[in-house]
Amino acid sequence: MFNSLNRRNFLRVATAAGASASLPAFWAREARAQDATLNVFAPLPPDPAPPGAAQFSLEAFSKWKAEHAATVNYETLAWPQLHDRMATAFASGSSPWDITYNCGWVPEFQSFLSPYADNLPKALVDDLPPSSFSTVTVDGKRYGSVFTLSLLTLFYNKGQLNDAGFKEPPKNWDEFKAYSKELTRDGRYGLVLNYGDPAGIGGTASYWMTFLQQAGGTMYGEDGLPVFNGAEGVDALQMMVDLMPYTDPGAISYGSINDATNVLLSGRASMMMNWPFMWNAANDPNQSQIVGKMASAVLPAGPAGTASIDGTDAWTITKSSKSQEKAQELIEFYLDADVQKRQVLDTGWLPIRLSVLADPEVQAKAPNAAVVLEQAKHPYDSFVTADYNEVTVAVGTEVQKALQGQKTAAQAIADAHDAVTAIVKRRG
Amino acid sequence: MIKTYEQRRRRAGLLFVAPGLILLVAILGFPIVDSLLLSLQRVQLTGGSVSQNWVGPENFQRLFADPVFWKAAVNTAYFSVMEVILVTLASLGVALLLNHPMGRSGLFRVLLIVPWAIAPVANAVLWKWILNANYGVLNAILKSLGVIEYNQVWLGTPFSALNFLLIVDVWKSVPFVALLMLAGLQRVPQSLYRAAYMDGAGPLQNFLYVTLPNMRGILAIAIILQTIWSLRVFDLVFVLTHGGPADATVILNFLAYRVTFNFLDLGYGSAIANIIFVLTFLLATIYVWLLWPRQPGGTR
Repeated sequence: MFNSLNRRNFLRVATAAGASASLPAFWAREARAQDATLNVFAPLPPDPAPPGAAQFSLEAFSKWKAEHAATVNYETLAWPQLHDRMATAFASGSSPWDITYNCGWVPEFQSFLSPYADNLPKALVDDLPPSSFSTVTVDGKRYGSVFTLSLLTLFYNKGQLNDAGFKEPPKNWDEFKAYSKELTRDGRYGLVLNYGDPAGIGGTASYWMTFLQQAGGTMYGEDGLPVFNGAEGVDALQMMVDLMPYTDPGAISYGSINDATNVLLSGRASMMMNWPFMWNAANDPNQSQIVGKMASAVLPAGPAGTASIDGTDAWTITKSSKSQEKAQELIEFYLDADVQKRQVLDTGWLPIRLSVLADPEVQAKAPNAAVVLEQAKHPYDSFVTADYNEVTVAVGTEVQKALQGQKTAAQAIADAHDAVTAIVKRRG
Repeated sequence: MIKTYEQRRRRAGLLFVAPGLILLVAILGFPIVDSLLLSLQRVQLTGGSVSQNWVGPENFQRLFADPVFWKAAVNTAYFSVMEVILVTLASLGVALLLNHPMGRSGLFRVLLIVPWAIAPVANAVLWKWILNANYGVLNAILKSLGVIEYNQVWLGTPFSALNFLLIVDVWKSVPFVALLMLAGLQRVPQSLYRAAYMDGAGPLQNFLYVTLPNMRGILAIAIILQTIWSLRVFDLVFVLTHGGPADATVILNFLAYRVTFNFLDLGYGSAIANIIFVLTFLLATIYVWLLWPRQPGGTR
């Protein structure tokens, strides 16, 4: 057909190829015109992702789609990019999703979400911890359903603790410091955390919030203004500062928890605070050099006891969705007992359903589930507000300054308090 | 009323150019004006939509009282000045080497272009691993050479983090500017070097009195372009440090992003973006002024 390769022929071939590539998609769209299409915005694994985006319950997922005449399209992003993608989409009025993942941002995006969780079946709601709705409830309306019980707990290398003469994990702050000091030896550190990013759940500020609650403090008073500039706030930060000599120095540059997790899994640190997904990763020979050595425990208690923060991983439905009912049905599928069971068995992310958490098979595969349940008996407030990101950047930046010795703990907390007060007052 | 041929010709020209002008105004003008208007409003996501309230210059007043903005401004100034100095000197050196008879192999030019050709985010991720405190290649090399005893946290202190960002950006920027300067070097008439030789000039005098004066225009362009580019750095900060530790690497462009998309304070974010725009516009004006053809007997 073509005698030579020239620009005109090249363009002809390219046009023909483009047309033939687009035709199947066109016909497929026609064929599926009768189906409901649900667009779901979710994190990329290893962060908590739904069936189809993560490799679990795939058969059940296919069956659900067939039975509900629904097509489900996933848009997945790395966790640190989720918030800003959603913010851009909502602000531009072009949110393309029916269901979105949310993590502490429900108060911020509340006006773009439907309070669908008020309509969940009673049997399902009764099987969820009542506290799981606290971070997704705004003005008395429930905008989301948390789908994984995700609290920070202590993960430790029991082999290294045994070698150092410790038979049990640290139970209080004094032991935590003593253990960290003793375990800092042979080119490794007692503790590793990710202090590189001040913002968000799992950022520097949220670690301080954990210590704050252990010290008996809280972020906000009843009038919504910050109240953390007191002994508890300073003690919490001083505890972090005291741990710094025994914390991997790279911690201040680790922007994501995966950076810190890699250090623990390579055996270069002995302890860290982490989310439940850690259990599977630590026991996967492809990812871990400490298989069989990992154990978990509730976080060491401060003056007021142990405390943690909530990962608040939830599914929400956008107000702009034209398939509200079908979207809720899909979320109910995500929360189905069998799907929840496969979620923990195959990905390590714990279920939120109490019946699944009590399942012997689940407890055998994820012994840390019992630890997380125990941790859940104590405070685990993430202090989520509409300006959570701005607040955590302000607090986290001051915490970083104290950790680096640029400020005393008291000065950093006083400055953070002033900054958060200004943010809250500006919000009005 | 159109009377002369010249006037008719000009009108026809304007009509032909009009679609292009309208397109330019739509693509460039609208966002600029909209951004300026946005910076004079308080913008909030409420009630399922974006609400905008006119606040006048409040965002700009807040900006000048914001210590984080000033920190970002100082960081940006340091970053830009150092980057321009380092890139210009390094590029000039590389261009001189490439212009030497031994450096004229095409292979050197291909190798040179590699850092510039790498996608910005890929480049940042690459350096993130190079600089990793535990597994980074840089630590491994320096330890094997005996330069350091323990692994260093290159992105762990404010001074070190900002300067490593600078080094990485210089590494990425040198190739293009070096090629620009190489083109400038090759335009210097050989007759000038022969005349200088006849006058007894040595290599240093050749460089100072022949090469540099003839490179003045190219150097000016390189400096201004590099200054504009250094004001736009974002990807490196986002991937490598996220502005940390303790806001030590927050520069204006990153701050505008953080305030706009992370804090959802769209009006304030626009105010910061407009400051960057004004700075860039001023630099671009100087750039155009330098490049504008000289009128015979005129000045510029």
